Order: sequence, then structure tokens, then C-alpha cells
Amino acid sequence: MIGRRAFALVLATLLAVPVLGAVPKDAPDITLTALSGKPIRIADLKGQVVLLDFWASWCIPCRRSFPEVDALHRELQPKGLTVIAVNVDEQQKNAYTFLEKYPHTMTIAFDPKGAVAQAFDLQAMPSSMIVDRHGRIRFTHEGYTDKTISQFRSEVLQLLAEGE
Amino acid sequence: MGAAAYNWAQNQLDFSFHAFQDSRGVTVLSPDANFAKDFTDRTAVKVRFGVDAISAASDSCARCHPDGANNGRVVSSLNVTRKYGDTKLTLGGEFSRENFYSATTALASIARDLNKSNTTVAGGFAYSFNQPQLHPDQITESQHSIDAYGSVTQSWTRKTVTQFGYEINQINGYQTSPFLRTSVNGVMTVGNSPDARTRHALSARLRQALPGDTFLDADYRWYHDTWAVDSNTLSLGLSHHFGASVVGGGAYRRYTQTAAYFYEPYYTGTPEYYTGDFRLFPFDSNSVTGRLELTPKGGLMGMPAGTGLTLQYERYKSTTGFEAGIFTGGVRIPLK
Amino acid sequence: MMVLKTRVVLAVAFAAAGLSATACATVQPWQRGLLADSCMVFDSNNTAAYMTHWQESREGSMGGFGVQGGGCGCK
Repeated sequence: MIGRRAFALVLATLLAVPVLGAVPKDAPDITLTALSGKPIRIADLKGQVVLLDFWASWCIPCRRSFPEVDALHRELQPKGLTVIAVNVDEQQKNAYTFLEKYPHTMTIAFDPKGAVAQAFDLQAMPSSMIVDRHGRIRFTHEGYTDKTISQFRSEVLQLLAEGE
Repeated sequence: MGAAAYNWAQNQLDFSFHAFQDSRGVTVLSPDANFAKDFTDRTAVKVRFGVDAISAASDSCARCHPDGANNGRVVSSLNVTRKYGDTKLTLGGEFSRENFYSATTALASIARDLNKSNTTVAGGFAYSFNQPQLHPDQITESQHSIDAYGSVTQSWTRKTVTQFGYEINQINGYQTSPFLRTSVNGVMTVGNSPDARTRHALSARLRQALPGDTFLDADYRWYHDTWAVDSNTLSLGLSHHFGASVVGGGAYRRYTQTAAYFYEPYYTGTPEYYTGDFRLFPFDSNSVTGRLELTPKGGLMGMPAGTGLTLQYERYKSTTGFEAGIFTGGVRIPLK
Repeated sequence: MMVLKTRVVLAVAFAAAGLSATACATVQPWQRGLLADSCMVFDSNNTAAYMTHWQESREGSMGGFGVQGGGCGCK
């Protein structure tokens, strides 16, 4: 009985996916290395709302998005947002040059080999992923426009309101 | 065609100064200003304004104006680019004017990024209406030009990118140089060129990152037109990062061209077409360019960090005996 | 003779362009650091427009070069 119901539920879900659109994917279980050298395991962040912002010193729109994401971090961290700015420069010295120019308070992580970018299946630079309290990627942004930060804010507030 | 190249999300102001001096007695000082602004709602604007101020006469002008002739040229252009997802659409116009020639151009181009921006396919179209003015008759002639191009840019590896392009240009109308003369039956006469010309150009370009912060650039162009001018252009260059703030580079360019079918060193009888325009003569040329780009860490002379200074010198020599030296100084100022 | 040569050159060019579009290895968006370097970007400075102008006023050829692609590929 239960077996048949479970089967029917799985079948219904599989059939519903093309109709409903993509089901939120789980964030990959991968470990980042912070600027401080400390490891950050994505799975350990469950229970928090996380904004992962992928940036590089050579990414021209990042020169505008980086300080604005940092400002969003200062604004929403008291409300429970965790921001991790993941750098994908192959030569870390270029990242340090960028960080000297742009003061920041958010957590910086390094991904010089692109393993984290690969795990998150980045389609463009810059990219941002917003992960909910259950570790599911709920929003993905590619590129940066002057509307991006306000979109981040409304999406983060929506996820912060969930599961409290 | 020189269609607008876009550097997205780079708000900047470029001032350049070119000093051109050649063996025909021409000295041209050309200040040029370029302003690029990205409005981040997917719209970007590029504005250009330049002046060529000829301070000494060319040998053609010197015949009648030994003290020099003032022939300033002003050029301005405006391009607006709009992004629709992976597609960019550009509309623009250019206007140039000098004492004996005005040119008005309208252009449209489209570019699409494919395969995670590894491939860019682009195409464009331009229409120009040009008006040469004869001298000293002061009769105004006209010329229409239609230009179309296509290009494919491909990133092959993290270190290799190529671009292939094709351009076709059809010009109808007055195409004779009103100043350059040739000998017809012993008499120096202003030329007479055909009033239709179709021009084709095919290009292949490579940029290759080499070990040790060094880069190779190689450009080749094959050209052919219906006046039988065929040319090959090859340029090879190397550039190198000397630390974080200095880029130095050099390039060599070799150019060879055949003559127009109606070219003769001098003419006898009653030729239908005849020309004294040195651009239609057969010749080879070699040129060498050296370049230095400085981007000091803390900015430059009060201008913000990221301001860059470019210094470039080119020495050009052709088998016709023509020689030119071109010095360029430029400042690029990033804007918020 | 000239028409045949033109056709051969055009055919080679289009074949090369076609090969371009079916590249074997894709460069991932986060791997474009070197490609974004100013030395790797086509026409990265405005000097090119001036050079084209003076060359076309002294030589018989024109154009042929395309619009920038490559670079950082940023959205």
C-alpha cells in the first residue's frame, strides 16, 4: 500500500517537474577556504540564509557589485544573512590587489582552481546564488545591473521570513 | 569600417593626442576624446570627438599655397548599445567635416554571445553619404557607400582567442582625388577614376597568452577590390607586463599592395581612367611600433586610481619613398 | 582566375569561422582571467580607430576587422 503511494508520489513529482519548472537544487556539499585560512563547509551553514557572490579582479561589473554586496551584508547581517564573496582569480595576488582597493566587512573565500564555481555550475561572471535555511539554492543571478541589489534584498528578506 | 568596439561596464574618458608627420610635408596634430558610459540597465553610450589640425600644407597644397593651407577636420560619433540577454544591438552615427570633404555615416550592428561567451558572432551594416568638393572650382560631388561585415570571435583555451572577419564595401559616385595629379601627354592633370568600386577584406586575428606575463598578437588581412588593388597585411606583436603597473609592447607590420588596373606611372594617348593617387600605386611598406602603458597604483596626477597613460611611436616606410612617424599620447580616466 | 581565387579564400574563411563555432574545449566563465587582460582583448584602446583612419588615407585598402568578442565575457 505504502509502496504504491510512494511510487505514485514520486511519479507525480517527476511528471510535475516539467510543468512546474526546475525544483530548487541543493547547494553542493563543498568546502571553501576563507581569507583567514579557515575552512567553510557549505553544509555547516544550514539554518542560515546565505548569499554566495562569485567575483574576480578581472570582472569589470564586479567593481560595482562588490561594494554594493558588502553594503547589503552590513545592512542584513543583523537580520541573519551570511554573505560569502567567493573569488575565482587563478592568481591570488590579483585578488589581494582588488581587496586593497575595495574595503569590505563580508567574508571573503578563495576558489583559485574553480572547484566551487564548477560545483555550483556557474554559467557566467559575475554570478550570485541565494541559499535558503534548508541548503537549497533558491535564486541565481547572472550579471549585474542597477536593479540587482534591490532584487537580492527582496529575495533575502523573503527567505529570512521562512522557517523561523 | 571601424564599427564600435564595446567594453561593457567600463565608464571612462579617453583623451588621445596624435602627432603625425610624413615625408609629403604633412604634419597633423589630432586631439581625440572618447567618452563611454554604461547605464547598467543594459544600455551603454559611446561618444567620440576628434580634430585633425593640419598645420603645414601637403605637397599638393604647397604648389599654390606656399605659406601653408589650413585644413582642419572635425569628426564626431555617437553609438548606443543595448543588451537583450546575450545579444547586443548597436545603433550609431558618425559625422566628419573638413574644407573639401564631408562624410555622414549611419550604422547598425548586432552581436551575440554563444556557448558561455566562448563564441561571439557579430554583423553590421553602414551607409555613408560623402561629399568631396572640387578645388578651386568649388563644385560639390557626391558618393554613396554601403558597407557590411561579419565576424566570429572564438575563445579556444584560457590563453587563446581568435577572430575571423569579412567586410564588403560598395562605393558609387565620385572617387577621384581632386588634388593629386598625374602626367597625361606631358600635362599634369587631376585624375579620373571609375565611379564604382567594390572592396572585399578578409581578416584573421590571434591573441595568445605566453608564459611569463607575455602576450602575442598576430593579425592578417587579405584585401581585393574591383579596381584590381590586392593587398596583404600582416602584423605581429608582443607585449609584456612589467609588474602590476607597466605594460610594454612592440609590433611589426608588413603591407604589400598591387596597383589599380588603370595605374600607369605616366599616360599617353586618350586613357579613359588615369590617376595620380598614390593609394592606387603598387608598393610595399614596413612599420615598427613601440608602446608603453602606465597604470600607477595610486592614480596619476590627481586622477583616480586606474587612470592609465599610453605612449606609442610608429615609424612607417614604403617603397614609394613615403615615410611617416606617428606619436600618440593618451590618458584613460575611469569614471564612476 | 581572380574570381576563383576570391572564392577559394572566402571558402577557407567560412570554414575556419564554422570550425570556430564548434570548439572542442569550452572555457568556463570563471577561467577567463587571462582572456580579460587588455593585451588579449581586440581593439582594447581607441588608438585603433586613429590608426585605421591614417592608414586608409595613405594606403589603398580598408577594414576587414570585426567587432570585439572574447574578453571577460561578463554579463
